[in-house]
Amino acid sequence: MKGINFVSTWFRDWYSIFVHELRLIFSDAGAMVIFFVGGLLYPVLYNLIYMNGTVDEMPVAVVDLSDGAYSRRYLQKVDATRECEILLYCTSLEEARQLMQKRTVHGIIYVPADFDSRIVRGEQGFISTYADMSSFLYYKSLTMGTSLAMLDEMHQIQIENYQLPQMVEPEENMPYNRPFSYTIFFISAALMLVIQQTMFYGSSLLAGTLREQNRSFASLPRQLQGLGVGRVVLGRGAAYMAVYLVVGTIIALLVPWLFRLPQRADWTEIMILLLFFIVDCIFFTFTWSTLIWKRETVFVLFLSASPIILFLTGFSWPTSAIPTFWQWVSYLFPSTFGCRAFINLNTAGGTLATVAPEIRALAIQAAVYYFLSCAAIYVENLIVKKRG
Amino acid sequence: MKKFLRIVWRELGIIRKRPLYILASVGVLAVNIVFYTTFFRDGLPSKLPIGLVDLDRTSTSRAFSQQLDATQLGQVVYYDDLHLARHDMETGKLTSFVVIPEGFNADLQAQHQPHMAYYVNSLYFVGGALAYKDIMTMVNLTNGAVQREILRAKGYNERTARAMIQPIVLDQHQIGNPATNYGVYLNGVLLPGILEMIVILVTIYAVGSELKYGTSRQLLGMADGSIEKALLGKLLPYNVIFTVLGIGLELLLFHWFHYPLRGSIGWMFLDMLLLVSASEALGMFLVELFPVLRLAVSVGAILSVLGISLAGFSLPVEAMPPYIQGFSAIFPLRHYYLIHVQETLWGSGFAGCWKEVVHLLLFLFLPAVLMGRLNHAYIYQDYERD
Repeated sequence: MKGINFVSTWFRDWYSIFVHELRLIFSDAGAMVIFFVGGLLYPVLYNLIYMNGTVDEMPVAVVDLSDGAYSRRYLQKVDATRECEILLYCTSLEEARQLMQKRTVHGIIYVPADFDSRIVRGEQGFISTYADMSSFLYYKSLTMGTSLAMLDEMHQIQIENYQLPQMVEPEENMPYNRPFSYTIFFISAALMLVIQQTMFYGSSLLAGTLREQNRSFASLPRQLQGLGVGRVVLGRGAAYMAVYLVVGTIIALLVPWLFRLPQRADWTEIMILLLFFIVDCIFFTFTWSTLIWKRETVFVLFLSASPIILFLTGFSWPTSAIPTFWQWVSYLFPSTFGCRAFINLNTAGGTLATVAPEIRALAIQAAVYYFLSCAAIYVENLIVKKRG
Repeated sequence: MKKFLRIVWRELGIIRKRPLYILASVGVLAVNIVFYTTFFRDGLPSKLPIGLVDLDRTSTSRAFSQQLDATQLGQVVYYDDLHLARHDMETGKLTSFVVIPEGFNADLQAQHQPHMAYYVNSLYFVGGALAYKDIMTMVNLTNGAVQREILRAKGYNERTARAMIQPIVLDQHQIGNPATNYGVYLNGVLLPGILEMIVILVTIYAVGSELKYGTSRQLLGMADGSIEKALLGKLLPYNVIFTVLGIGLELLLFHWFHYPLRGSIGWMFLDMLLLVSASEALGMFLVELFPVLRLAVSVGAILSVLGISLAGFSLPVEAMPPYIQGFSAIFPLRHYYLIHVQETLWGSGFAGCWKEVVHLLLFLFLPAVLMGRLNHAYIYQDYERD
């Protein structure tokens, strides 16, 4: 009898906390702005900014002092690549350099005067390239364009001049992101991060407000029978779950569809991943928002953490090259596993089985953060009580 | 003047009483500097895991794998079958993998042009791109090695053979970053971007707090009702902090870490001074526009995160859609970046950067536009407080 009583009280308390938290969320304009405007605006804005994602037909200046059949054929091939477009022919390297300084061109190809004669004589011909390093994408476009054209020209010379065939036939497969588009690799990681970060900022904003007004949720367990910490965490958590099932579904399913990003996984698999990820994010948020005692401080202190957390997912700098210390730090964040799982599932077209390790990590993390957030409430409750 | 100093003194008291200000400026920048400089300390990743599925198992295929392993970039992971390698690429464990088919060596010797397939995971940007480059080089070297054997058998000397194997040599130069160091490229703009973020947020927080805690009238009183005087005095301590942080950052990057700098560090100091002042002006403009602390902070936060993307050092601005390109100009970081490029790559001094200097100076007029609105809010405190 006592057991049944406990269960029904538990659910009653849980439900009232759930409703209470939902009311708090929906009556706070600041939190609503972050959850709905921030959560939905960022994915759209980033998609617009990175819409093209590649630097195609990058303007290049050419200094062709050789001006012969071979150099011209090579330059035509460079011009024909997707990466480079020959904008101007210059008479001297100095002239080309000035164009690059004015940002009219972002690469220079210099063909010395003896290039053609050397090839005709059966010697090696040299071509110099100069890349504008103010963006790595300029460097990448120039390197790709000139190298691909060089390989093609090389094989043509070998066949025509030396009857020397290619010995190995390379067979290139780039299944996920053929043009190395910035959009696909950046957005895939950013989407999951937006879920985690907007939840953290919004929820911390609310928690900070409550603490400022001395009505923190940590004082709730005292009104409940028995030790009510679990009810408080799960009740509040359910409220965020309700909000983020909507926001998360839009971010993970609707936004990729809207902007025609790859969607190679079944939507049910994405939903399962999302479920684990959101639960983990909720307890992560509850644990770390304990540090926020004033409303606005979360942004002032933790905004610059977002780019750091993004790099820690390994979306750009490869995980294998991340220093060990930072790899350990990366295990603190749900996004480390959430982003990888989303990329592998949604963009690489893996299955739930391929992302099983990440999902397991999310589950372990969620369990640890659940207990930490309970402990945080318990401790905060003691502090608040002491203060009176 | 005495009154002005009293306002400054009052602000110093606020900073001492609430550690948030020092934490949010000095603390946050320090954490970011430590993170980015240690995270990218190698400059270029090495020992990228590259899978190798060797179905041939001959001396030729083994030689290939050893050479691939010996490159600075790659570290070979061996697989027995394609599916395992593919699975590991799908899970992001491999950046790429190469398949050497059965009978590769035999076909090679018979000049049947055997295929060599490679799969690149281009979802992980830097790793994928570098592995791709590494594999392409190795495949061509393998090709060349076999060609060399044939040419030698035909009696060509080494020099002629080399010219036939590689008739064209590309000599690649990277202006401004000869070592293609990713850290140099990223930190040189990203860290000033973080500072821009800090300046905008702390400025908004400092000016807006007077409204939130209802102390704005007292501040105005100390300045004889002059909002300009009040804000100048209030922001002076922050200006000093931000400037010291900015100059320190430039010294750290160019003097201590020896990031490539073609021109003089003096221009970088000027660039930094302008970035800090322009960001402060932008922060003030935002809090004038939204004289409610939490709203101004939220808007400042959303904007300053976008500012980093829109500076155009990751994806160049000209590759963005036209209606986005214009927005990049409203962020001081964009102009800082353009001056930074002129000075680090070309050392062109005043001639190269005066336009952007003017752009940044224009930001300083921004606070004047809506000063009246803030004045009104400071006097009447008629906006909601939280």
